[in-house]
Amino acid sequence: MNFLRGYVAVIDRLNRWIGRLVMYGIFLMMGILLWSSISKTFFLPSLWTLEVAQFAMVAYYILGGPYSIQMGSNVRMDLLYSEWSHRRRAWTDAITVLFLIAYLGVMIFGGFDSLSYSLQYGERSPTAWRPYLWPIKVIMVTGLILMLLQAVSELFKDILRLRGDDIPREVI
Amino acid sequence: MSYELIAILMFSTMMLMLLTGQRVFGAIGFVAVMASLLLWGDRGGYDLGFAAAMKLMKWYPLLTLPMFIFMGYVLAESKIADDLYKMFHVWMGGLNGGLAIGTIGLMVLISAMNGLSVAGMAIGATIALPELLKRGYDKKMVTGVIQAGSSLGILVPPSVVLVLYAMIARQPVGQLWLAGILPGLMMAGMFILYIVIRCRVNPELGPALPKEERDVPMAEKLRLLRAGMLPLVIFAAMMVPFVNGWTSLVESSAIGALTAFAAAVLKGRMTRKVFEVSVRSTLGITCMFMWIILAALAFGAVFDGLGAVRAIETLFTERLNLNPWVILILMQLSFILMGTFLDDTAMLVIVAPLYVPLVGELGFDLIWYGVLYTITTQIAYMTPPFGYNLFLMRAMAPPEISLRDIYGSILPFVLVMTLALSIIMTFPQIALWLPDYIYNK
Repeated sequence: MNFLRGYVAVIDRLNRWIGRLVMYGIFLMMGILLWSSISKTFFLPSLWTLEVAQFAMVAYYILGGPYSIQMGSNVRMDLLYSEWSHRRRAWTDAITVLFLIAYLGVMIFGGFDSLSYSLQYGERSPTAWRPYLWPIKVIMVTGLILMLLQAVSELFKDILRLRGDDIPREVI
Repeated sequence: MSYELIAILMFSTMMLMLLTGQRVFGAIGFVAVMASLLLWGDRGGYDLGFAAAMKLMKWYPLLTLPMFIFMGYVLAESKIADDLYKMFHVWMGGLNGGLAIGTIGLMVLISAMNGLSVAGMAIGATIALPELLKRGYDKKMVTGVIQAGSSLGILVPPSVVLVLYAMIARQPVGQLWLAGILPGLMMAGMFILYIVIRCRVNPELGPALPKEERDVPMAEKLRLLRAGMLPLVIFAAMMVPFVNGWTSLVESSAIGALTAFAAAVLKGRMTRKVFEVSVRSTLGITCMFMWIILAALAFGAVFDGLGAVRAIETLFTERLNLNPWVILILMQLSFILMGTFLDDTAMLVIVAPLYVPLVGELGFDLIWYGVLYTITTQIAYMTPPFGYNLFLMRAMAPPEISLRDIYGSILPFVLVMTLALSIIMTFPQIALWLPDYIYNK
């Protein structure tokens, strides 16, 4: 049990820290888009803004995903769920979170496949700016792994809850 | 196993898994990647989930999502829109039902500044509703007014629902937004008409303000009118460069978000707490949408691979021999029905990828259907027992409004909205005239 508690503490802290960092990415995206409109109106249009903004968006939501799980932002269909007792919710979640883990596992598997292809052939984006694609794929795979670690942390939390620990459901 | 059977199996598995209350994106994503593994596992089926993420990255208009969510939170949290309510209060209070009409006006202005219905709901329920109740307005009527009014947020541009629809239907967001303007205003007009008629028949529902309260000096009245400038400035800052082709839609959304942020700072309302809540909630809500879309995209890809849409279309047109219009009407009805049971995001994800291609196959205009789709979503948002707005309203409204009042309040407005839906179905020009005019001039 102490291992589970330790794991939850470490992973939740790591993901919260990363999430709180990327949440300011909204200003980064605003800045890029603003520069894009300024340069387009007054100078020559920049080639890089569109794709850098896309990369920023991907990093924003994939790296921010684990923190959004901690905050409880991800909707559930709570027709029945909202009526259940805390114990029953923990039971069900402990089982159904395995679906989420399986989904993320397949995603990561596909991600590695795609990443190794990019590295091997030096894949570039088919646009005028032609950036390499491997850096963003590294970020995506990292984010997915963090998401998986967070999903496992949720599983551990449910197990701990069933064992009698009192763990809050949403933390901001 | 036939493809139709696989499609049905996928749907029912997903519905069952959603009922367990696991996070929506996990349930959908799991079904999608498992189906793909089982169907095409030997030919790279495991790549499908990640390929969806790469596809999503290239879909540029999705960048508007965090911008509009941020804008909505800045407006709602900083309460810079409070003066707007006072403006309508002072100018419209003299009429029977005037404050309710003013509330609809308020909702239209708020809708023009953000893309979800939450901001309108928050402002309506926390600022307008207590005032209306204090003035002796019928609580059922005003509860309905605020819910109906705030649902305009997803029809009047900028609209997040239309951005998501655009992605699924592969249609230009700009045209969809323009298509939403006239129907949105028409619906607001119909709500106002309804209030005027109800209050004419029964003045007790919305008493006019007493003389002494109406005696506001003209200078004060004009000062408050300035509050109405704020939404116009934000809307213009976004839409003028966009319609003139100086900036793209995404760039405009960033300008809008910055303008709203700057307005809050200039008005001295951007406290540490407001800043923290807006930035944090933007991340939370954006992640929620993006992860669901990511999973839904994978789900849709499996469906495409199965050719399921084609199969359903053949079933309706050839085997059952139905007229496209009959199918369209049946679809809208089933959509409303489903909306009463499913929540909004689940509906967007489940219904849209199935219905939208079908509408295209039947030969209807997808821009026009985008407007129909959005109005149907609005109706579904509001219908018991599981309308999303009903619960939001319960969470935000003052305690004397019970869930029973909320349920009872929406029926007339749902009828008005259904009428609006059928008018736009019959006269597609209402939606299509403005985008045609702007894009073909």
